[in-house]
Amino acid sequence: MGLLQEKDKEYLKNEFSKLKNDVKLVLFTQEEDCTYCNDEKMLIDELGSLSDKIKVEHYDYATQNDKKEQYKIDKYPALIIEGVRDYGIRYYGIPAGYEFASVIEDIMDVSEGSSHLTEESKKKLQAINKPIRIQVFVTPSCPYCPKAVRTAHKIAIENDFVTADMVEATEFPEVSNKYGVQSVPKTVINDGVEFVGALPEDQFIDGVISALEPNR
Amino acid sequence: MTAGIYTGRAKLKTLLLEEKAIGGEIVVADIVENYPGFPKGISGSDLTSAIEEQARSFGVEICEIGATRIELNGENRIVHTTDDRMITTKTIIIAAGTQNIKLNVPGEKLFTGRGVSYCAQCDGAFFKDKEIIVVGGGDTAIGDAIFLTRFARKVSVVHRRDKLRAEKILQERAFSIPSIEFIWDSVITGIEGKKTVEAVSLKNLKTDTVVTKRIDGVFIFIGNNPNTGFVKDIVTLDESGYIITDENMGTNQPGIFAAGDIRSKMVRQVATAVGDGAMAGSSVQRYIEKLETVKK
Repeated sequence: MGLLQEKDKEYLKNEFSKLKNDVKLVLFTQEEDCTYCNDEKMLIDELGSLSDKIKVEHYDYATQNDKKEQYKIDKYPALIIEGVRDYGIRYYGIPAGYEFASVIEDIMDVSEGSSHLTEESKKKLQAINKPIRIQVFVTPSCPYCPKAVRTAHKIAIENDFVTADMVEATEFPEVSNKYGVQSVPKTVINDGVEFVGALPEDQFIDGVISALEPNR
Repeated sequence: MTAGIYTGRAKLKTLLLEEKAIGGEIVVADIVENYPGFPKGISGSDLTSAIEEQARSFGVEICEIGATRIELNGENRIVHTTDDRMITTKTIIIAAGTQNIKLNVPGEKLFTGRGVSYCAQCDGAFFKDKEIIVVGGGDTAIGDAIFLTRFARKVSVVHRRDKLRAEKILQERAFSIPSIEFIWDSVITGIEGKKTVEAVSLKNLKTDTVVTKRIDGVFIFIGNNPNTGFVKDIVTLDESGYIITDENMGTNQPGIFAAGDIRSKMVRQVATAVGDGAMAGSSVQRYIEKLETVKK
């Protein structure tokens, strides 16, 4: 028995018929010490079975260090959604609940190679001249979280300096504690800029740009 | 979305703009028990995703952007969006709902996201085995206080009066849960801590005494304000900022209707919002028919 219902599969097949370029779902899991690794593997394999354009690659976090380094992964389970290149889209922890929709929307955007950000946002993002890591902390039961995750991922698609992580806060309590996460969505940019809530696109991008300031 | 079901079935081209979460405030309800048709109750997210599916099946297009203002131009109504687009239409149904009211006490803003929360569904999991306060006495406050006992060791409900406004059935349930305590006639006057919330100041309104209570988190559900800022110059509002409509959901502007919690009315529930939506959708249909007849 799969995780997706038949009617969801039908819906997704129809969505995926609009895919343009191939999309690669790269998944890192580990046999031991991982509550949701098997569930996530099953979910991603099911997604892969719904379209010829979606390829799934699966690596073992514990042993495949070369791949871990290539993708700069520091936790598991980890999912990368890759298009014609690696845009820097990362999911740490299972993208269940509301976040499943983020994965689907990311797949569509990545396949098209387009962020769908506004022209003004795109222009502002051209100022980025050094690596930026955006971490968006979420819980699967948070309906406002996908908006923050999607905005971060769109920024990653738009700008090659940016890596954007969804982090399922309850699966990584140590990381969540480090950043004092007690409300989601919470966004942390380069360990310097922080904000809580699903900010509108323009304010989110202003937050990213403010992380460029030298004193940050 | 209900209005969309009606306009979609009337074969009117319908676009729904949603800035935050599809379905609105009710998506974060742990369980909805007073909406007809679900004898065992249904979670807010299941209910809204079913309504969403229904609306989409009748051709409603949903766009996850917000509206910033409405402009009138003859019989056209132009919606300006957060992504700087302009959408020209004949009719608009304003169903932008409400947003939660803040306590406006020292420390609230500082600790938002560090122990102060407005969403039990989103943040409950961070308070496992902790002690928390729920502020408020309405359905949301009491429903979420019950929900939060799944995580928290102890939930103290702080309410400014000596009885609750929540449905009786919710009250009885809350009173029967040992890990919920009630602090009556009291308000929070300040929230303190170092990195996260550690304590609150509680003022008893009857005795005027202030005590400090050690606490790990504060969930605030003291009511809502209407999201009418973007239309305040276009439609008539009541003294609390809600949109005044006639019984068919029409506002003072031809072609602009309002439905749901944003409307000036007494009861704000899913059932009443859905009723408003059905009415507004039907009114839109009639309005457009009339416009077309006039043209002929």
